[in-house]
Amino acid sequence: MFELLEHTADIGFRARASTLGELFETAAVALESIALETEAIEPRQEYRLEATGEDYESLLVNWLSEVLYWIDGEQLAFHHFRVTALTPAGVSGWGLGERRDPARHRAKLIVKAVTYHQLHVAETPEGWVAEVYLDI
Amino acid sequence: MPRHYQLESSDGIRYRLPREGQMRTDVVVYASAALLEHIKLDLSLEQAMNVATLPGIVGSSLAMPDIHQGYGFPIGGVAATDFEHGVVSPGGVGFDINCGVRLVRSGLTEQEVRPRLGELVEQVFQDVPCGTGGSGFVAVDQKQLEQVLVLGARWMVENGYGDRRDAEFAEAGGAFDDADPGQVSEKAKKRGRPQLGTLGSGNHFLEIQYVETIHDDQAARALGLEVGQVVVLIHSGSRGLGHQVCTDYLAQMGPAMKKYNITLPDRQLACVPIQSPEGQAYLGAMRAAANFAWANRQGIMHFLRRSFRKVFGAEARLELIYDVCHNIAKHERYEVDGKKRDVLVHRKGATRAYPPGHREIPLAYREVGQPVLIPGSMGTASWVLVGAEGAMRETFGSVCHGAGRLLSRTAAKRGRNAQEVKKKLEEMGILVRSETRDGILEEIPEAYKDVDEVIEVVHSAGLARKVARLRPMGVIKG
Repeated sequence: MFELLEHTADIGFRARASTLGELFETAAVALESIALETEAIEPRQEYRLEATGEDYESLLVNWLSEVLYWIDGEQLAFHHFRVTALTPAGVSGWGLGERRDPARHRAKLIVKAVTYHQLHVAETPEGWVAEVYLDI
Repeated sequence: MPRHYQLESSDGIRYRLPREGQMRTDVVVYASAALLEHIKLDLSLEQAMNVATLPGIVGSSLAMPDIHQGYGFPIGGVAATDFEHGVVSPGGVGFDINCGVRLVRSGLTEQEVRPRLGELVEQVFQDVPCGTGGSGFVAVDQKQLEQVLVLGARWMVENGYGDRRDAEFAEAGGAFDDADPGQVSEKAKKRGRPQLGTLGSGNHFLEIQYVETIHDDQAARALGLEVGQVVVLIHSGSRGLGHQVCTDYLAQMGPAMKKYNITLPDRQLACVPIQSPEGQAYLGAMRAAANFAWANRQGIMHFLRRSFRKVFGAEARLELIYDVCHNIAKHERYEVDGKKRDVLVHRKGATRAYPPGHREIPLAYREVGQPVLIPGSMGTASWVLVGAEGAMRETFGSVCHGAGRLLSRTAAKRGRNAQEVKKKLEEMGILVRSETRDGILEEIPEAYKDVDEVIEVVHSAGLARKVARLRPMGVIKG
């Protein structure tokens, strides 16, 4: 579950999930849905995703930067994500999706990057929550 | 609730926020009283105060009148750091390395273009790719891309994407020396390769405009501008290649800052000593990304020339007036407190503005000063200025870069409909074509500050002089 957050020049989102792994999966979905129209994406192929970090914050930025690279650099569109291993130093998992087809997966916004601006990852009594701002 | 700031001003243009806490210097804001009220509403002043904590900062942390909240650095911020002992901050350049503006003059008048404006806007929209469709870009192989990273706009000109004089009329001749493609990751190269010669989205655009008023006859003559003339403004940057370079180096900054024992109030400000291996690697990669951006704007101009020829015939000529970057860190030399100092000037949403006589200005403009190109919002106006002496004395040769955002993208869309906005702009004589669904709504004129007021501040402060006000006719957006 996620919601969009406002920023003068850019856009952010707040993601919530019951576990940290699901939080990373939800954040990846939020990023993709800001960048692309996701309705027509089909789960055809599995792509491995990995990132390292110094703490959960930098790990989340690096994980989302990795997802963004696969969307913008490798021209993929993901149907969903799965995190298989996660420590503060590293996360690995995969995204299930297909090659981007500009006709079926129209771009909504070109996301330039994932920022550290007011970045926030925390465990609350209701579960995990993260706030992330993207450079548009 | 806006935070209370202890701002001091003796002239109503320069506002000083004295050093406090971890700050190593003051913040100086250039603004009018009205603009200042807007500025206080977001985090931009707090971010300018954070910039003042950077190790080795020289002079003040500067804020231009178009300043608004960014991440780490405010957008519209300028900071110079000591070249030997100071730091370089990738966040002080931003993700869109060498995002900038290029102004092109045509030999056509508004009256000649107006009857065929619809056809022209459609043709430009077809010919200039925005980069989301996966085609239409300048195709280069890996080896050619490496050359683009070294030679920038010059590579484009040598390979048939421009006239010989084009590179001469870009800041730094359209390419930095000392670019190091070896410091640019394979990921960045892969992301950038299919995006050469593409506009991008967000606030990037191409605008067909006409000269509405001239404010300095001598400078306008030197720049080849006259009332009623049609010009084109191109606003784009280094696309995915530059974004990935910044992302890659920010990821390395955390551990490097521990090594150099640097602590900062905001992680996005992450920095390393300029002379460290990490600092040098970043600057080599940043310069390569900047060269990609100059090549990118050159590619867009090449496609634009094609559109003008298709609509107005083979004799339709477009000439480059100038090309400036507004997201960059550059090694420059200034007199500070009576002493010449080598500094790295971070311009994050700020434009270089060299005064008349500076040797880095093309000969054709040297007597009048470096052209400074300030895009406004679609539907309002853009400005051509020339740099003035005040910028050398006070702002490390820098001025503003645009109107500055007022509303968030979400707020801009609230309660508005793209068709209605488009219709309203058409009634004002402005045709808009946008690739992405939200492109029009997010960049509505109401989302920006009054560009005329921003210009008035830098003109009155003696940082730059007004030359011409440009009115939009056609807008192409990513």
